[in-house]
Amino acid sequence: MELAYKPEKSMINVNGLIKDFGKTRVINGIDATVSAGEVVVLIGASGSGKSTFLRCLNGLETLTAGEILIDSVPLENKSSSLKQIRRQVGMVFQQFNLFPHLTVLENIIEAPIHVLKQEKVNAIQVAEELLSKVGLYDKRDNYPATLSGGQGQRVAIARALAMHPKIMLFDEPTSALDPELVGEVLTVMKQLAEDGMTMVVVTHEMAFAREVADRVIFIDEGRIVEEGLPVQIFGNPQEKRTKAFLSRLNH
Amino acid sequence: MNLDFSIILKYLPYLLQAAGLTIELAVLGIAFGILIGLVAALLKISHTPLRFVAHFYIWLIRGTPLLVQLFLIYFGLPQLGITLSAFASSVLGLGINSGAYLAEVFRGGIEAIPVGQTEASSSLGMGKFLTMRRIIFPQALRIALPSLGNQFIISLKDSSLCSVITMSELLQTSQRFASVTFAPMEFYTAAAVLYLLMTTVLSAVLSSFEWRLSKENRTRGC
Repeated sequence: MELAYKPEKSMINVNGLIKDFGKTRVINGIDATVSAGEVVVLIGASGSGKSTFLRCLNGLETLTAGEILIDSVPLENKSSSLKQIRRQVGMVFQQFNLFPHLTVLENIIEAPIHVLKQEKVNAIQVAEELLSKVGLYDKRDNYPATLSGGQGQRVAIARALAMHPKIMLFDEPTSALDPELVGEVLTVMKQLAEDGMTMVVVTHEMAFAREVADRVIFIDEGRIVEEGLPVQIFGNPQEKRTKAFLSRLNH
Repeated sequence: MNLDFSIILKYLPYLLQAAGLTIELAVLGIAFGILIGLVAALLKISHTPLRFVAHFYIWLIRGTPLLVQLFLIYFGLPQLGITLSAFASSVLGLGINSGAYLAEVFRGGIEAIPVGQTEASSSLGMGKFLTMRRIIFPQALRIALPSLGNQFIISLKDSSLCSVITMSELLQTSQRFASVTFAPMEFYTAAAVLYLLMTTVLSAVLSSFEWRLSKENRTRGC
């Protein structure tokens, strides 16, 4: 118990989360809390349920049981609640999922204009600032097909940020990238963490987890096996399964 | 051989006028078909019981000949107290018929869009309708366009069947002149050439539309 630790405002509360796909139990009872401004990295083998867990956090997967509170508001499986929650929770996907028929700028202003009902000039101004921030201002009129993977993913991050989310979720954001393009995306994410964004990141980039994460959670078979500071998890893992996973990574 | 194509010149204004009616039937029929087709496609991919209505409609219309459908509308419906003019019957028949095929074309286009697109737009707080209108449909249209064009051309030519429910469109007009002048070869050739002209223009319009819609794949800005 760290009594000196000042209790922070919690952004995400997960209680007894269970998720089944048909007869397969993918999430098997997860409780977790993420504080405002915290960067949490989820690690685990593929099929461990970490991506599914992430997708539950913005309602892309319906919950079988349990509850999720986003900034104290319960996530309910009805469209008005989902829309409300999703405006506050940005999501970045492994495959970017940019809209191919829209330019970079149009990708970013789409939701601010049509969901938040922002004036187009204001939306464009915000989009241009975000593009400058991710270093892609000169690509504003390009179509996604003309971008490299790293550029595409940075646009996807800018697109999510344009909604001014309170939380950003990253689902293996660098897994589809050529190795030499991973760095530029991680740099943007690191900057975001430094700016105080609440982030939950599923990744295999252990160097990123070590450097940027406030907390690392190891998930296996749909449960949290171990969690702690990066130095604890990577330097001195307690659980057998955590050790086995980490040693497999180092080979 | 006693072919004399110069006879066509005398009747050309009437043929062109009839071709105008053919265009009118085709345009209205296709427009109606697009409307029905869109609704049927959306119903068919929906998870509501209404999808069975769409299934039934497509099954029924694709499984029966257009000519029979036109007869049922124009000659059959009056027995039930619903009397439609030949023009209204034609547009209705062409619309209902092409709608069944267009429904499948639209459905194919919509289902070809990766689920990630919907997930991305949902994650941005966009609702189902907004996602369909702004994200899915514009992309589906690009995929469906060649097949849509195909169906438009088929419907244009199918409008010739309306001749048998008393529409004085291009084929019926040619038929009338052919029998009074005893020059069937000349008039049916003229009709064929005019149909070919119309379908060629339609193809060209569709191609240019396709070219414009594919701009995001051509602009290589870097």
